Amino acid sequence: MTLRDLVLIRLGVAVNLVIGQIVAALLLPVYLDSVGTILVAALVGPRAAIAAGLVSQVLNAVISGNFSWLPFGLVQVVIALYATAAARLGAFRSYATAVPAGLGMGLVAASCSAPISYFLFGGVTAGGVTVVTTVVRALGAPLGVAVASASYATDLLDKTIAFVLVTLLLRSLPRTLATRFPALAR
Amino acid sequence: MIGYVAGRSILHRAHPYTTLALAGAVLLGAFAMTRPLQVGLLVLGAAGFAALGGGATLRSSAKPALLLALPIWVLLFVLHGLLGPEPRVFFGPVRLSAAGIATALVLGGRVTAIVLAFLTALATTAPHRLVEAMTAGGQPFGRIFLLSSTLTVLPRMRERAALILEAQQCRGLRLGGSPLARLKALGPLALPLVLGALAEVDEQVLALDARGAGDRREGGEGGGGAARRTALDPPRDSTAQRVVRWALLVLVLAAYAWKFRSMRG
Repeated sequence: MTLRDLVLIRLGVAVNLVIGQIVAALLLPVYLDSVGTILVAALVGPRAAIAAGLVSQVLNAVISGNFSWLPFGLVQVVIALYATAAARLGAFRSYATAVPAGLGMGLVAASCSAPISYFLFGGVTAGGVTVVTTVVRALGAPLGVAVASASYATDLLDKTIAFVLVTLLLRSLPRTLATRFPALAR
Repeated sequence: MIGYVAGRSILHRAHPYTTLALAGAVLLGAFAMTRPLQVGLLVLGAAGFAALGGGATLRSSAKPALLLALPIWVLLFVLHGLLGPEPRVFFGPVRLSAAGIATALVLGGRVTAIVLAFLTALATTAPHRLVEAMTAGGQPFGRIFLLSSTLTVLPRMRERAALILEAQQCRGLRLGGSPLARLKALGPLALPLVLGALAEVDEQVLALDARGAGDRREGGEGGGGAARRTALDPPRDSTAQRVVRWALLVLVLAAYAWKFRSMRG
């Protein structure tokens, strides 16, 4: 990895962690904790995006103190790989392509996070998702269905917004800045 | 308080890899435990690990660990105890699922043990000693850079995010309203933050390169740095500590072998 890749990974990690602060100020019911990973995937490539995702997961644990969510680092790896493939297929060129790609990302991410949540944590993870799980379970659904429905509901919304936001960021890049990222030209 | 607490305990003096290996073993071991008694013993083990760090470490890791685990315990008892499968048993005035309670004890115990072990590792591992240990161990510059510099960038980005928030509010940006209106406000806040940071990338690369941070083997720009760095004051490692680390690895593998064997049986 070049020094430039390392600086961009660091930027991606900071974006992952700081966008959450903005989202909290706006009282939005999403996390957007993978915007930096998706951005690095589009600007640099899969290795850097995986590094950004994993470092974000570890730093989030260091800052919050909750290290039990470290197994969800696997989801960050999947997000990095999917976002790289989506970027190479031109998903970030327009909102019309970003929305379906984001929905696809939501499906893939939920398909990874739901089994981790169910088998390792019995469906009890981050606050908002667990509230949805509890409500669906209280309505009579089996635990597996409750965990899966909560994961799909939150990830579909979260990843679609993340993809649209990254598209907005990439489309707003001044030409002089955009030319510095060869991965964008691909 | 979450973070390093200065001290002279055995954990403070241990090689950072040994302390992190102990916490890692608790993390991996926790998911191999499937019965309340096993997880209870693991929690006791994690508490013993915290006690090795001395009184101050125990206080600084046990309290936040309990505070972090408490909401999870509550949610586990609601989801598995109250809404769990039949048969039910009386716990005072409430009827709880017997199997659900056992599941909640296992899952809650896992989270408690993991959080306690890692907060202890965090409280007893000075960041500069970990960096020195990684440098002495010949770790690539990239890993050390990501570990040591990202934490220092975060407060700067947070500060900038807060400034942008205030500036955009001064220009009339409204943060309230419907969820769609709040979602639309995300762009004017995130764009200047990320674009501003991207514009600074080249400057940061040059600054790092000028300090010899590049690595020829890794294709670093400018290639001004040596392939291997020298640690100024690396933490002392010992054969006994290496044996402990290998023993932990063997223990974790044995725990998983036992788990899968009992699952088949």
